[in-house]
Amino acid sequence: MSGRGGYLLSKVAWAIVTIFVVVTFNFFLFRVLPGDPAKAGTKDPRLNPASIAALEERFGLDKEVFLELSGGNPFDTQYFAYLGALSRGDFGVSYAFRDRQVIDLLGGALVNTLWLILPSQVLSIGFGVILGLIAAWRRRTAIDVGALSFSLFMWSLPTFFLGIILLFLGANWFGLPTSGRVTVGADYASFWDAAGDIVSHMFLPTLTLTLVLLGEYMLIMRSSVLEVFSEDYILTAKAKGLSTFRIIRDHALRNAMLPLVTLIAINLGFTVSGAIQVESVFSWPGIGSLTVQAVDQRDYPVLQGAFLLIAIAVVLANLVAEMVYSVLDPRVVEA
Amino acid sequence: MRRLHSPITALASLALLLAACTGVQQAPTGSGGASASPSAPASACEPVSSEAAEPGTGGTVRVGIGGSADSLNPGLALLSEAFELFELVYDTPISITAEGEYEPELATEWSVAEDGVTWTVTLRDDATFHDGTPLTAEDVKFTLELYRDNPDFPYQSSYPDVFETITATDETTLEIVTSEPVGNFEYRMLFMYVLPMHIWEAEDALTFENEEMIGSGPFRLTEFVQNESVQLEAFEDYYAGRAIIDEVIFQTIENADARVTALTNGEIDLLGEFQVTAIPELRGQENIQVCVSDVAAGGSLTDIIFNVVSDEDCPQDDPATEDEDETGVCSGHPALKEVEVRQALAMATDKQELIAVAEGGLATPGIGLVPVGLGAFYASELTDYAFDPDAAAQMLEDAGYLDEDGDGVRECKADQDCENLTLRFNFPTDSDSAPREAEILASQWGAIGVALEIQGLDPDTLTSVCCPAFDYDVILWGWGSDPDPQFLLGVLVCSEIATGFSESGYCNPDYDELYEQQAVETDPEARLELIHEMQRIALEEVPYIIPYYSASYVAWRTDSFTGWSFDDPGLGQTDPSVLRAIAPIAAGE
Repeated sequence: MSGRGGYLLSKVAWAIVTIFVVVTFNFFLFRVLPGDPAKAGTKDPRLNPASIAALEERFGLDKEVFLELSGGNPFDTQYFAYLGALSRGDFGVSYAFRDRQVIDLLGGALVNTLWLILPSQVLSIGFGVILGLIAAWRRRTAIDVGALSFSLFMWSLPTFFLGIILLFLGANWFGLPTSGRVTVGADYASFWDAAGDIVSHMFLPTLTLTLVLLGEYMLIMRSSVLEVFSEDYILTAKAKGLSTFRIIRDHALRNAMLPLVTLIAINLGFTVSGAIQVESVFSWPGIGSLTVQAVDQRDYPVLQGAFLLIAIAVVLANLVAEMVYSVLDPRVVEA
Repeated sequence: MRRLHSPITALASLALLLAACTGVQQAPTGSGGASASPSAPASACEPVSSEAAEPGTGGTVRVGIGGSADSLNPGLALLSEAFELFELVYDTPISITAEGEYEPELATEWSVAEDGVTWTVTLRDDATFHDGTPLTAEDVKFTLELYRDNPDFPYQSSYPDVFETITATDETTLEIVTSEPVGNFEYRMLFMYVLPMHIWEAEDALTFENEEMIGSGPFRLTEFVQNESVQLEAFEDYYAGRAIIDEVIFQTIENADARVTALTNGEIDLLGEFQVTAIPELRGQENIQVCVSDVAAGGSLTDIIFNVVSDEDCPQDDPATEDEDETGVCSGHPALKEVEVRQALAMATDKQELIAVAEGGLATPGIGLVPVGLGAFYASELTDYAFDPDAAAQMLEDAGYLDEDGDGVRECKADQDCENLTLRFNFPTDSDSAPREAEILASQWGAIGVALEIQGLDPDTLTSVCCPAFDYDVILWGWGSDPDPQFLLGVLVCSEIATGFSESGYCNPDYDELYEQQAVETDPEARLELIHEMQRIALEEVPYIIPYYSASYVAWRTDSFTGWSFDDPGLGQTDPSVLRAIAPIAAGE
């Protein structure tokens, strides 16, 4: 196969294989870790053996993990039960939040995460690109040094530290809320009240995440624009007497965007994993918080679900990046 | 009750035991519970200012918590956050006061017949469920049987397990026959949240989400968003009178620093979970009251566990389970099997230094497995080993442990299978203070010629080396206690060595006999005596050193609501009795 169709098809096939490998790897990864919940459960003095057996049976933990070799159906095991359920879209029931479907937990958390991440991504990409462009354009001026220092500083700052600092400042000086998505139990007089409440809750976490992401975008943008500026065709464009604005818009930007697209795609993929640290600091009930909790509680089904979701998001984001690439730079299809 | 710093919990659903919210249902912070002050009642706190505020009515109280209820179904829930809600939404037949005394709730009186097994419980006739249905003896019978007959209920099934027959003889009378005499009947009723039969009988109790949570308690659920918030409103027809406030909101704020900030900027009115390091900062704030009680709520304790299991008691392969984890390794240091060595270590332990470093000085030195917060159960008459390194060193000397090569570590005796007194020392990595405590102990014990090889272990790994494997020398860990000491006293019983419940492998037939006796002793005084004697034996034989019982602390805003409890040593501010009594400070103050 050749051409764009074949290129895309092979990428999609790879994506599917990758996801299957991740599913299998995750399944076994969690089970070789110490701390099987079945074992931990037996240490609770108030659980009697009947109770443990009943719970084990309910969660299928009484079966073999991979292959049943002591007679009977060799595929009547935890692994194949998991694959079967997955193929039906059934992610199972959470161990820790026992009466909840994993898919419901993940779905709710994903919506919250997107609420937090998408505005931050848009803002940080926007400001990062503009800042990077300006810095490259005004290279070796005070503006460049200032923008560069600011970006490097923000990029190297630990997220939770920045979050806590902003939380203290915002909460104590400006009375901004410290946690959650909305004021619980508030009665809003109008739509604008409600919107204001949501925005005030989103402000600090969004600001934190924007600042943290911005640095990276700015740095990549600056260096790739600088690289493009040194190309011959830019010199040609200058020689033709084009304005700086037109040089940037028509010649520099499109070529300088290539590395940025990669970065955006990768970041968007990991976006779904939630900005774990930001979510923890601001008690934002997203995928990141959920994952941390699931780790604490050895909640296999939720962890498996979350990891699968994250893996799919990353693989899909890369797929999208490759597609965008093939449009931006047709050479990759032939390569 | 559960190990602290350790999500040891029911199968497949592990409790979130964040350092601060080491809760279990043990006296859910709610019941303010079993915390009674012993001889010298520690004044919980003094009001920072004499509030001359005019109390009003209505209002919404916001409480900041670190976690979230795991389930609204009382049978399935494991976390203290859930039990805190159950206390507010449901009634139980019997409840417990801040001083640790049992008191009537739905039951107005209860008594046992001559035979020691037939209990008659009289219920009040004016309680109704939130949906208007009257609560009768049939509901209580249904509830007790539901809990008892569902072994899948990790906690609730254990309390009524000795109730053989439960009969509702009329609308307000219940007759319960137990399979054997029980010494802690009241305690078994403490967490029996009475469910409405007309709702639950149509449901599968194992999967019922109970989203409406119809109970008969002073507050009813209006909204629950897991990991975010819980909203409750005052129940208008509560038999003992409606709460003064209108609404209670529990807000989940995961980050401990954010919780403290939420209190200082007025987002929340009450904060029950924060780090001891935040106390000085909060004390300096205006309009904030901080209360510290050195009498731990319910009673969480830190313990140093010695591996004392004898070769005969070492758990063997159980052919029935084929589970290699049940096999004992029993690799404990031989010297620790000698009581003199353990006593010497107890004398070499400066508990005050541990408390100062690990708990900011806010804790009570421990004696045994029954925390001071358990009131009369706590053997206050016992005297702990005095801190005396010289005497401790002499004791080791006399026992034959000499440091002849002068390397600072005493050598083992000739007939022992060991080189010197270097002990493996493990602690759970989810504890913030354990690494520092380990270092302190290393220097304290080092002073008498005992060296430590310190290693932090993931709680699950720690469990796997602990018990019933007994593949360790010393472990630093902790427990949270129930209002009744029976469960924790059970960790020293011989028969629990193989089950993994016994951490030390300690076995003493005298102790076991006392344990059996107190379980069936229906006379409270006689039972207390047995329980005190058990603590005396444990103190003398030192299977554990108990460095301290943790203090409890709470902080609230003084400019929003008034009427918080100052005298409850357990500081259970979300107890129904407190939340029904508080009132908003009228505007304009």
